[in-house]
Amino acid sequence: MRRTLLPVTAVSIASAALLSACGGSSTASPAASAAPVSAACKQLQSGNPDLVGKTFTNATNPHTPGYEALDPNDPSKYVGFDIDLGTALGDCLGFKLSNKPVAFPALLPTLQSGQADLVISDIYATSDRAKAADFVTYSKVFDGILVRNGNPRKLNGINTSLCGATAALNTGFVEVPLVQKLAGACKAAGRPAPQVQLYDNNAQCVEAILAGRADTYINDVNTVNQAVKAHPGQLGKATAVTLPYSIGIAVPKGKTQFRDAIKAALTEIQKTGAEAKLLKKWSLDTGSVQAPQLVTG
Amino acid sequence: MAAFLHYLEMPYLLQGILVTLQLTALGLAGGLVLGFALAAMQLSRLRALSVVARGYTIVFRGTPLILQLVFAYDALPHAGLKLSPMTAAGLALAANEATFIAEVFRSGVLGVDKGQVTAGQALGMTPRVIMRRVVGPQAIRLMVPALGNEAVTTLKNSSLASFIAVQELTLRSNQLASSTFDFFSIFFASGVMYLVLTGAISAVQLAVERALDLDRLVAAGWWVRLLPVRRPVPAAVVKQTAVPDQPAPVRAEELPHPGPVPDERRNRAAPLAGGPNAVEVSGVHKRYGDQVVLDGMQMSVRAGEVVALLGPSGSGKSTLLRSINHLEEPDTGSVLILGRRIGYRDDGKPLSPAGIARARAEAGAGMVFQHFNLFNHLTALENVAGPLRWVHRVPAAEAERRARDQLERVGLSHRADALPRHLSGGQQQRVAIARALAPNPRVLLLDEPTSALDPELVNEVLQVIRGLAREDGLTMIIATHQLRFAQEVADRVVFMSGGSVTEEGPAEELLLRPRRPETARFLQVMGAAVTGQVPA
Repeated sequence: MRRTLLPVTAVSIASAALLSACGGSSTASPAASAAPVSAACKQLQSGNPDLVGKTFTNATNPHTPGYEALDPNDPSKYVGFDIDLGTALGDCLGFKLSNKPVAFPALLPTLQSGQADLVISDIYATSDRAKAADFVTYSKVFDGILVRNGNPRKLNGINTSLCGATAALNTGFVEVPLVQKLAGACKAAGRPAPQVQLYDNNAQCVEAILAGRADTYINDVNTVNQAVKAHPGQLGKATAVTLPYSIGIAVPKGKTQFRDAIKAALTEIQKTGAEAKLLKKWSLDTGSVQAPQLVTG
Repeated sequence: MAAFLHYLEMPYLLQGILVTLQLTALGLAGGLVLGFALAAMQLSRLRALSVVARGYTIVFRGTPLILQLVFAYDALPHAGLKLSPMTAAGLALAANEATFIAEVFRSGVLGVDKGQVTAGQALGMTPRVIMRRVVGPQAIRLMVPALGNEAVTTLKNSSLASFIAVQELTLRSNQLASSTFDFFSIFFASGVMYLVLTGAISAVQLAVERALDLDRLVAAGWWVRLLPVRRPVPAAVVKQTAVPDQPAPVRAEELPHPGPVPDERRNRAAPLAGGPNAVEVSGVHKRYGDQVVLDGMQMSVRAGEVVALLGPSGSGKSTLLRSINHLEEPDTGSVLILGRRIGYRDDGKPLSPAGIARARAEAGAGMVFQHFNLFNHLTALENVAGPLRWVHRVPAAEAERRARDQLERVGLSHRADALPRHLSGGQQQRVAIARALAPNPRVLLLDEPTSALDPELVNEVLQVIRGLAREDGLTMIIATHQLRFAQEVADRVVFMSGGSVTEEGPAEELLLRPRRPETARFLQVMGAAVTGQVPA
């Protein structure tokens, strides 16, 4: 728990009293496994002694079951592939991670303001986002097209089949400009442009289809699969598409040593097969493993 | 349904309630402190302070709370101030809520009748004492419902802190919905939790309103003494003292003095003639905008003299009385009370409001108003005793004794524990006279003391004033329309018109044989036959 003096003394006193009375706002990740540290990781730790023993803050948007979400059986914990990957990185480099939940569009501002040290939250490393942070990629991107059962509008990709359809999308997600860009193609085909409804999180997008407000929700294919699993009679996956992005870990600009240490640790984790193992654990596509690349603006 | 009940008792969400409550408490407590400061700045005489407060209000009331939250959380760190999510959210909530709470404070203070402040000033109370003893306790009652609103608003607004990682109820509900896909059960459960919380706030608000209700006649518990008011005594006690139903019929034994004897008054005239001047008004001008209210007013009143001020409405009588104890500041000219000039230091520079108040208390000019201006939240006894303690530092027991003496003098001992609103107009004015007399003033200024009374209540008040003139030898200046009363009581009548004296002279002479046509016209309109008897 971090406590900082406020300009308003009364508020500060009140807050100190209250904060000490009860638990904090960030939730510690599950205890790191006591797995033996590999030789390569040991070497990384001696090369980055200032990381060892620290607790870093991971900004997460915990609305994507499989990647990051509350543990439905124990809501005090966050679970998912990204959470485990962060723990594995911490184990290798000798630090611990605590998770701080923020809205998706707030992930990078939180990192930039120093309120978080890194972002592992199923965020795609686009060149636009790389202006705000440096990315170390770890996975390819496959999107799924979530539709009502039976796909009544016959959607088959992020293409002109979406003309005239209404898409529920998350604010700040890469799918938003991709769908909006279809307007030109639709117009050329003499059809109305797709409508976009922006929501705050995954659950609200799925609700929008269930409530008949939207025809489709386009997001990471695993997220779509989870939604279909939760509402088998009502929802279906039209198709999966490849997006020209990779999923990345965001680190603050200018912290090149930290960034390079993350990249090296990630390489090591992939080499030992740990990342594939985690993908399997969370029923994600093991084929999406991708050698780490830097994406910087 | 089972899922709904499951979420209703899920510890994860219940902990969220605790965080929501902490955040609400932070926002509300900070908002109250900041809001109080803002309201004080806006009500301040210093223009710079009120401009700053107004600017703050424009910015923080005019921008969405969510922007302020994000600013406190994500922008302040760039300026080197990295607050925890809870502290940042508490700061933003407080900063936002303060603007609304300040308006609640301000409207509460402004909602208190101006006459209450004037009465406090006339009694020599400093602005601080007026705020603490007169305006504050009455304003609180006006503010409770609006503050209850603000508490509910703050609680609901705290849900916006979910945007900056505060693990309160809404953020927890959202995350839980994302991980379980159990959207409706979760939001119904958290909705019920919010309802319970806001319901509890409403209950607190109603309880506070009830506790502050002046009409609630309950035996005062120990905690009531902590409240900034004196409560009326229980109805049972009041009954034992045989209170007349209101409007109270005037009983003969209530009226302390029989009418004056004209001979007696004539006998008084001789020693008065050589006495020192109690009040000296010279060359006083006062205008409001284009309207001239006092135009070179000249008047002197000797110690022990009773002067009746007559004149049509708007002739400047009230303004003159208010100028005498500096409730109005003359534009030019001077007013001396027993040789002292109120409102200015010895070197002629104007005093601060607190300094004026002290000078007023020392000069000893008591004032009685047309509309009584009793302190509505205080019993008759406290109306008299309170100012003695707060202004003249009289010990409590002594103040109470003196207050009871004064109430007896005006024939109202048996109504000592009644609130003003439970007294008839005549009784209220008698309490007001007792209040003005308690500090032993050297001059008593009465501004149309019977004009607001029902005709049948006029006499009881006039009786009291007659007694003061006859027995106490008090210097009095009475603005009145009661010609017969003026004739009976006054040593001298001063007739005003257009802000200056048109004619003055011994009461009987001026009322029966006015020299100036304006005076004659006025007396005629008021029903007095110029050459005949002054009508009853």
